[in-house]
Amino acid sequence: MSIVNLTLIVYVLAAIAYIVREIWMSVPAKWTSLGLLILAFCFNLTLVLKRSIEAGHPPFSNLYESLIFYACCTAFVYIIFEFVYDFRVVGALASVLAMLILLYATLQDDTIRPIMPALKSNWMLVHVITYMLGYAAFGIAFVTSIIYLVVKPFSKKQGDIKSGGSGKEMSVRNFDKLSYKIVAFGFPFLTLGMVTGAVWAKKAWGDYWSWDPKETWSLITWLAYLAYLHTPLVLPKMKVSKSKMAVILSFWLLVCFGIVNFTFVGLNYLPSAEDSAHVYGAK
Amino acid sequence: MMESGKGKSARVKNETVGEEKKINVNKSEEKKRKDTNKVWDFFCSVKLAVIIILVMAVACVLGTFIVQGRSFEEYTARYGYGLATVVRITQLNNVFYSHWFSLLLVLLCANLICCTIRRWRNTFLQTGFVLTHLSLVLILLGGVIKFQMGVKGGVNVYIGKSVDYFLTQKIDSMGRTDYVKKLLPFTIALDNFILEKNEPKFQLVTYVKDKDKQKILEVKVGKRQRIPGSDYKVVINDYVSDAELRQEPVNESDRPDNPAVFIKLLGSERTVAEGWLLAHANNYHDEKKQDLRLEYIWLPSQQEFDNAVTTVQNVDAKITASVPALGVLQDYSLELNKTFKLSGSEYSLRILEYVLNYGDKRPVSEQPANNPAVHVEIEGPDGVEKRWIFESFPDWDKMHPLKYENLKISCSGIAKAHMTRNVIRVYQAPGGNQQLVHIKDNQIVETMPWELNKQYSFANNDHQLIIASYFPSFNIKQDVVKKSDQVGTPAIHVRIDGPRGKKEEWLFANNKYATWYKDNNFAVLYESTGESIKHYVSDLRIVKNNQTIIEKSIRVNDPLKYNGYAIYQSSYDPEKLSYSGLQIVKDPGIPVAYAGFAALCVGVVFIFYVKPFLRKKLKKENEVAENEYS
Repeated sequence: MSIVNLTLIVYVLAAIAYIVREIWMSVPAKWTSLGLLILAFCFNLTLVLKRSIEAGHPPFSNLYESLIFYACCTAFVYIIFEFVYDFRVVGALASVLAMLILLYATLQDDTIRPIMPALKSNWMLVHVITYMLGYAAFGIAFVTSIIYLVVKPFSKKQGDIKSGGSGKEMSVRNFDKLSYKIVAFGFPFLTLGMVTGAVWAKKAWGDYWSWDPKETWSLITWLAYLAYLHTPLVLPKMKVSKSKMAVILSFWLLVCFGIVNFTFVGLNYLPSAEDSAHVYGAK
Repeated sequence: MMESGKGKSARVKNETVGEEKKINVNKSEEKKRKDTNKVWDFFCSVKLAVIIILVMAVACVLGTFIVQGRSFEEYTARYGYGLATVVRITQLNNVFYSHWFSLLLVLLCANLICCTIRRWRNTFLQTGFVLTHLSLVLILLGGVIKFQMGVKGGVNVYIGKSVDYFLTQKIDSMGRTDYVKKLLPFTIALDNFILEKNEPKFQLVTYVKDKDKQKILEVKVGKRQRIPGSDYKVVINDYVSDAELRQEPVNESDRPDNPAVFIKLLGSERTVAEGWLLAHANNYHDEKKQDLRLEYIWLPSQQEFDNAVTTVQNVDAKITASVPALGVLQDYSLELNKTFKLSGSEYSLRILEYVLNYGDKRPVSEQPANNPAVHVEIEGPDGVEKRWIFESFPDWDKMHPLKYENLKISCSGIAKAHMTRNVIRVYQAPGGNQQLVHIKDNQIVETMPWELNKQYSFANNDHQLIIASYFPSFNIKQDVVKKSDQVGTPAIHVRIDGPRGKKEEWLFANNKYATWYKDNNFAVLYESTGESIKHYVSDLRIVKNNQTIIEKSIRVNDPLKYNGYAIYQSSYDPEKLSYSGLQIVKDPGIPVAYAGFAALCVGVVFIFYVKPFLRKKLKKENEVAENEYS
């Protein structure tokens, strides 16, 4: 069996283990689920490293390589968070998310092609790694937002959201705050990714910002999360209740993650993509 | 919850009413101050910040969904005249450099500065806040400096030549591009340009037709690879790095199921022609210059053989005209300019000309018999129709409009019987019967029995004929041989398994055509991925007052910087590699923008990583202090 398939299967197993853990809440289930996800992450990392060795360059030169690395980062960031917070069912969806990203990668052209001259830069390395970590965090924030929005209508004590988060135990009713923390974790990576991207663009194309569609959409992503980070300072002044604000912010995060994905893989559909220097597949 | 909300809003209302009253009572000066305060508040507010952020994001979306910087004609073609005019007036064709976007950035700047001043506390914990907000101001300032004082353009320099200028683009409001020449305070000389390519790589592309899905397989010998979403499997059995296909005629058995002879035609000094004639396939060879045709005819029985060698069985070239509706059919021999009446109909036909290879400009006698055709003139009740009749494409009529559709005309025998004066027929039948027959002008001139490897001469002909070998069961054996150990023309031997069993085939990298599996739904193609570019380098020299100041080899990602200018490798002459395309940029705003970048990075890291950490620490210290106190 190929490593890709093995990784996919272990991701699924991890997701199942997380669901089991959610139902029984036993300590063995906890360690099994985390263990499986760490195993899946290791397989995924092996896949990335193997690819890197086979191709002879860092595995970020095309969509396939970026996606397997993205899946790997998603698992990694989630595992870090699991050590900080008691995440509960988030792990199941995070595993599924990583699995879906990897599955999407398998649909891509995985031919090893020689790396083009503009991609031979150390700035590019930092650029991609920071971006992927940021995107991974946003993916998990997306998952927590979904869970929050789904569970909230069933939660009887509406509006009774305590300022939790001091300890490890996190109630689903506090997932809006958790999302905010995860975004706060990812945002600096997004910023670093954008800045290093600009510096790299300056070196390769002579301008740190030229309103290329990819650049513009990365700015849109950045602005969307920037707006998200600032909104909690605005809405209370506009007499929006805390409970409504939580819903608005969670919805906004879903939109934001949509923008992330469009920036990542959707730009080929833009009419201006033909002019872009770095839309995947546009060459 | 609802009630408390109501109460709140009620209270707020009372307060505003109270305020209004106060304002009415107060003097106008204070009212002014209050107004400025309101303006100040507005510029300081986070609400404004969020609004600006969102409007900018929407502007960016528009700026990518509407193609930027094109001509007005192109927008008209895309969106129609009305919308194109709207696009032009609202500057949506140039969003990022439009007046309203600039205004938005100015507003953002004002907001950032006001906000920073308003919230300034001068505590260490605020470092991140101040850094991030001022960094954005710095980045925008850098952008303004770039826009006002920077230049960006390009120039192509030929190898061995130098330039002291470059060209910048200017796009006017109608989207027309103008080039402006800018002089450099120095000269750039291109000493050399080198383009290095990667070694060619090869790949095995597979294609499933009904799914319209292409997949590239790993070229790994012995690995069985499944094509996802289909029943096909591909194994590469063998790989040869530099292969050549050798084809060798072989005789498979003594049974005459595919008889063939190897014939040599000798002239006075050299061999004029030699090759295999196959009785069941290409059984003749025309020697145009000598007006000679060689034919090999295999006859399955003695009787047919006896008959054949004594009579001239020429196939007559003829046309056949018919009107199926009237039950009329008639053959005519191929005689030029003679009018035939198709009896029982109203048509009469005349053959204008015939050719052996339709479209060939050469005289008929020199044409190969590839596409014989006859040009016929038809006279009927509605006047004259001229029609080309093709021997190989009898149905050509059906696909093309005709005047007299009920009249069918076909022709035959033209390819075979085209007026060669000399024909030499090599006859063979089972039981060792073999005869040579020389036919001249449709008359048998001479006959003689033949044997292998003997020379035969013919009357009034300088040529001699040798029948060098005879294979009763002719076949071609294909063999792949290795020419060298280097990568030349690689070939792989693949086995395809699918719903109709296996298929094995050698695939050569230089074969442009795909190989199809039996069901015509699956194809494989072994091809080169092309020589991709590894890197390209320009050896540049900056010259000032006839003195070389700097020398540097620039490549993508590694520019040459001098005197505030940065020279980038951007393109090259793709055909002759005679010039190098340089991009020349001057941006005095770089230090400001980069300072902004650095501040932004430090700032966000501080806000989201350092500050929460410090806060926790402070909280703990406070708790400890409190505990000690009590």
